[in-house]
Amino acid sequence: MIGALWNTLQTAPDQGGGDPLFVFGLNWGVVLIVAVKVLVAFGVLLVATALMIWFERKVISDMQSRVGPNRAGPWGLLQTLADGTKLIFKEDLLPDRADIFVFKLAPYLSVIPAVLIFAVVPVGGTITLGTHTFELQVSDPPMGILFVLAMSGIAVYGVMLAGWSSGSKYPLLGSVRASAQVISYEAALGMSVVTVVLVSRSLSTRAIVAAQSNGFWHWNLIRLGFFPFIFFMIAITAELTRPPFDLTEAEQELVGGFHTEYSSIRFGLFFLAEFMNTITMSAVVVTLFFGGPNGPIPHAIPGATIYMPIVYFILKTVAFCFIYVWFRAALPRLRYDQLMDLGWKRLIPLTLAWLLMVASVLTWRWWGLVMLPVVVVSAVLLFRANHLGSGRSEEDAIIPVVGRRVTGAPRLTPVDAPHGGDA
Amino acid sequence: MDQYLPILLLGLLGLGFTVFSLVSSAILAPRKKPSAAKLSPYECGIVPNREPPQRFPVRFYLVSMIFIIFDIEIVFLYPWAVVFHQIATFGLIEVIVFAAVVFVSFLYLISNGALTWGPPKTLQSGLPARTSDSTISRISAARPEPGEAA
Repeated sequence: MIGALWNTLQTAPDQGGGDPLFVFGLNWGVVLIVAVKVLVAFGVLLVATALMIWFERKVISDMQSRVGPNRAGPWGLLQTLADGTKLIFKEDLLPDRADIFVFKLAPYLSVIPAVLIFAVVPVGGTITLGTHTFELQVSDPPMGILFVLAMSGIAVYGVMLAGWSSGSKYPLLGSVRASAQVISYEAALGMSVVTVVLVSRSLSTRAIVAAQSNGFWHWNLIRLGFFPFIFFMIAITAELTRPPFDLTEAEQELVGGFHTEYSSIRFGLFFLAEFMNTITMSAVVVTLFFGGPNGPIPHAIPGATIYMPIVYFILKTVAFCFIYVWFRAALPRLRYDQLMDLGWKRLIPLTLAWLLMVASVLTWRWWGLVMLPVVVVSAVLLFRANHLGSGRSEEDAIIPVVGRRVTGAPRLTPVDAPHGGDA
Repeated sequence: MDQYLPILLLGLLGLGFTVFSLVSSAILAPRKKPSAAKLSPYECGIVPNREPPQRFPVRFYLVSMIFIIFDIEIVFLYPWAVVFHQIATFGLIEVIVFAAVVFVSFLYLISNGALTWGPPKTLQSGLPARTSDSTISRISAARPEPGEAA
């Protein structure tokens, strides 16, 4: 068993990215194929987003014993279209205190990265049309997976600037929370991706998928020992600010979060970007850990090399879209300190430890056993440091804590609070 | 650079879609002059009587500064991961040393309470810890009596 696993680790193909379409340089045929690919991808992405919004509302109403949207079109399928059309006809408000330029810029910064991430996701195999061979993927740059992280980094600006430019309390708080949350989980996210890159030996998404093509036992989910997938899934849910990490738009506390002041289609664009991100991130999870368009057993259906990968890809992605909805229905929202603790004190050390373990096992099988005590010692140190830190935050914290009333105790005011709440 | 042509086109398409939505909304949406109440910041019906806050807890700045350390660590890890199979043991030892250095600073941060958020367990020595019971009793204590003015 371990020997077989060892072999799967050793047989990763060594290749960079690159769509074979561009091998002979640019000509009109190539540009035409690129244009068609981009148009199809964009169209599919928009329709998928509309369906995803419908799917989420329908599934969540099923889970809550409601009917959900059922008027617009068959089974309410056209509900999103109706909502979008309605939003276009709504009054577009620019609040008094808003910074108009940034306020108008923010939706662009949200939508464009959301659209772009999908570009590097491999959707299927390769197709040959006449003299042109091309991959079923909008683009296959050599730094593929870094592009995903870069775009999700830029999307933070959309949220941050939207909240800041609104000139209002709740959006500001929502956006500050969102930025802190997203950057906190980016570290854990990045390190689980590094673990994948270790065995794939390439940053190209196509190469990452190709390294997992020999059956489901080669999928990174199993090869890397499940944990990177779990870490990645938690981190990506927090990156998407989806439940249970949706503190940025915690309705009970912050009205709508960063988009409270947005109305009309400007709000609609944020909404669109959010759901588009849910789909593309499901696709990214599938790419990194579930073999992308590869079937569970290679060559199970002979002769179906063109359409079956697409079917596998769609099935897996829909499964993850469902899981996100399921999270929303099943899990209560975290408190902000719980969120930060999970991100910094648990996920980051765990992903780092697992990364080092995988690297050791890749070098020499028994290095893993050598690493294990090191990891345990580090864990003990971390536990001790955390204990010290949470004790210190009460005594001489870097940031003083504000007084809080407990029954039977005198009400604490900033003046007589032990650390001076107004310092 | 040809590989980036589709990304550029997709980005332009996304930009075009956003512009199209905003322009069509500008044409189709009603253009009345909104009232002052509509234009004021939304605070659940309360008229805001002070300037919007431009300050927020310093912890958020702290987190973003700490984040930079980890982000740089990860940026260094990507090229290492790509060539790891070539540098094997040397690469492993290098990265263990590197991770140890980052981990020590991480321990320092945590032991200083830089990453400790949220409600402290006790505010003064002798006060009970925060539990479900304490929260319930606190809330019921804060609620005014029926006869009392709110």
